[in-house]
Amino acid sequence: MRGTSTFLTISGLACFAGLALAEPAAAAGPTCDGGAISVGAVSTITGPADFSEVPKAAKVVFDAVNADGGVNGCQIDYTISDDKADPAVAAQAARDLIDNRQVVALVGSASLLDCAVNATTYKRQNVLSVQGLGVDAACFNAPSVSPVNVGPYTLTTAMLYYASETLKNEKLCAFFIIIGGTQEAYKQGIANWEKITGRSIHLVDLTLPLQGDLTPYLIKARDAGCDAVLTNQVEPGVVQWVKTAEAQKIDGMNWLFLAPGYTVEVAKALAGTEQPVYVGTEWEPFTETGSTANAEWIAVMEKAGRSLTAFSQGGYLAAVVFLDVLNGIDGPVTRDSVNQALLTMQPKAYDLAGSPYVFGAADRHAPMQATKIMKLEKGAWTVETPDWVVLPSVE
Amino acid sequence: MNALFTSAVAGLTAAGAYALLGVCAVFTYRLVAVVNFTGAAIGTAGTFSMIGFIALGLPLWPAVAAGVAVGTLAGAAIGFVMTRWFSEASATTKAAVTAALLVGIVAMGLRFTGGQHPQEFPTLFPGSAFRLAGVEVTIASVLTIVLAVAFTMLADLFLNRTNIGLHLRALSARPMAAELLGVRVALLSQLVWAVTGAFTTFALMIIAPQRSPDFMSLSLLVVPALAAALVGAFRSFRLALAGGLMIGLIEGLTSAFGSLSQYRSIVPFLVVLAVLLWSQRGARWDEAR
Repeated sequence: MRGTSTFLTISGLACFAGLALAEPAAAAGPTCDGGAISVGAVSTITGPADFSEVPKAAKVVFDAVNADGGVNGCQIDYTISDDKADPAVAAQAARDLIDNRQVVALVGSASLLDCAVNATTYKRQNVLSVQGLGVDAACFNAPSVSPVNVGPYTLTTAMLYYASETLKNEKLCAFFIIIGGTQEAYKQGIANWEKITGRSIHLVDLTLPLQGDLTPYLIKARDAGCDAVLTNQVEPGVVQWVKTAEAQKIDGMNWLFLAPGYTVEVAKALAGTEQPVYVGTEWEPFTETGSTANAEWIAVMEKAGRSLTAFSQGGYLAAVVFLDVLNGIDGPVTRDSVNQALLTMQPKAYDLAGSPYVFGAADRHAPMQATKIMKLEKGAWTVETPDWVVLPSVE
Repeated sequence: MNALFTSAVAGLTAAGAYALLGVCAVFTYRLVAVVNFTGAAIGTAGTFSMIGFIALGLPLWPAVAAGVAVGTLAGAAIGFVMTRWFSEASATTKAAVTAALLVGIVAMGLRFTGGQHPQEFPTLFPGSAFRLAGVEVTIASVLTIVLAVAFTMLADLFLNRTNIGLHLRALSARPMAAELLGVRVALLSQLVWAVTGAFTTFALMIIAPQRSPDFMSLSLLVVPALAAALVGAFRSFRLALAGGLMIGLIEGLTSAFGSLSQYRSIVPFLVVLAVLLWSQRGARWDEAR
């Protein structure tokens, strides 16, 4: 076991070093007059949720590159700003990064409200964000942000697509907790599924409470005759949902959850359940530590002593994407040259994700359109779809 | 009509929890004159200790006892703060202090229990008691309602018929006078805090498996509980019991109406508003102000 992990570490580092140092031989490659390339991230660290694992994983990648001599000799100066889930603090954090730190781009941001608050600022100031984890709806609806994750809205479409096309469920129902401006995005997610499959949703309920008893909702789903129910519950809510289904002795219904439900803790808390529980992942399933697609990410994280979570995949991927973009720049690395490179980049495939990543000049970006489905089996997540479930494009 | 009844029955689980915690809130207020925002948080701390003890290898029921002991200590600790430093403070100040303590406990609790990561709560009383209108009414739901009713009756008897009860009422109304009359104020208040700590912990242990299993959600059960207590004007156990049941049932009922159910979580506030308006109906504006 030790041997294997050492091998992975070494091979991972080898690939990684190759990636970091692979400048075009003929061209001069990226240069930096100021000595370092300033990059930033806005993340919710303190407050109701902690997304800091995402930018911290990006930092691990940048630190490793810096230790290896930097990108063509340029060190990366990475600043993580805490927005405390407070709009005023988030706006301040973005301004500080843009005006004072003079960042060339935002990489690996993960926040409850960064996009909603700052996307227009980024647009106005001409800064682009390779979002590590797009959470709020604005992340997938702005010209200045292109997330490396699938996100809850596309995942809504993907989970329904999996239920109707693979599980062959007829009556699909959806129950959502609506916070802030997410209602339209979830509705659009459902509408996209309807367009792709030509079916229509059996029941939509947008009134799930953040707190409270779920019994009435499960009774409603059962009495409506749903074959599969999708909800956007986060971790504790997933457990409560399945436990309530058990208490009501509901059987024969598939429970579909989005990526926030895909954690080791949820699997442990539901170890005793017989209910069919499915989740969609943002990237290659992080619990599959033997998967070759995960090998490089695991090697880098383990070397830095960081735990292996889905969040850290997001930060890692955002950083790797950004390094690739940097390496494609010929000449001084400035906000303008980075923007130019991002806006004109070709889609690039990464093992961690099922779709190629691209920024591009579109009005909105959701490059990731693929997921893998995990099923809960006796307290552990097992891969239900070894191949990516890729959404057909919406006509 | 049938759908309405089904939704109401589906609200029973919440109803029992609100009623039980509401009655506890009235108990604390009547005996130590504190609107206690930490009630559910104390119980939550004890409940999380229980799963901690289970993780350490303790069997279920000894872990339950140990968790209740932790809840008792937590209650006593809050009681110590309240009686030692705030016994002469106004009701508003005391309420504000417990609200501040709640924020502190939730912050610490989230840190120690892995934040939003869910925990597995053992179901102390698994299974379903009966099926009504197509809804499985769990043993736990029935038990919370039974406990709430029992606690209401016992508290009434205790306060009105026993000597200690009389002392406690004196203590809450006029602590200084009670002390001068020889009532052991500090000891009795501590005792009340400890007992409510123990009781809410046990209540939370029954309720927790049916709710969102994280520290914050469970601690915030105090909101509907205080709404229920307000229905009883923080005096009447029976009205608080009825209030808690009513809020739970209305919550269930609203889910039957698509347009109403998005306002479901404001039900406690509407109930409180209605009760306040009703209770002030006789007063003229100047007096009420």
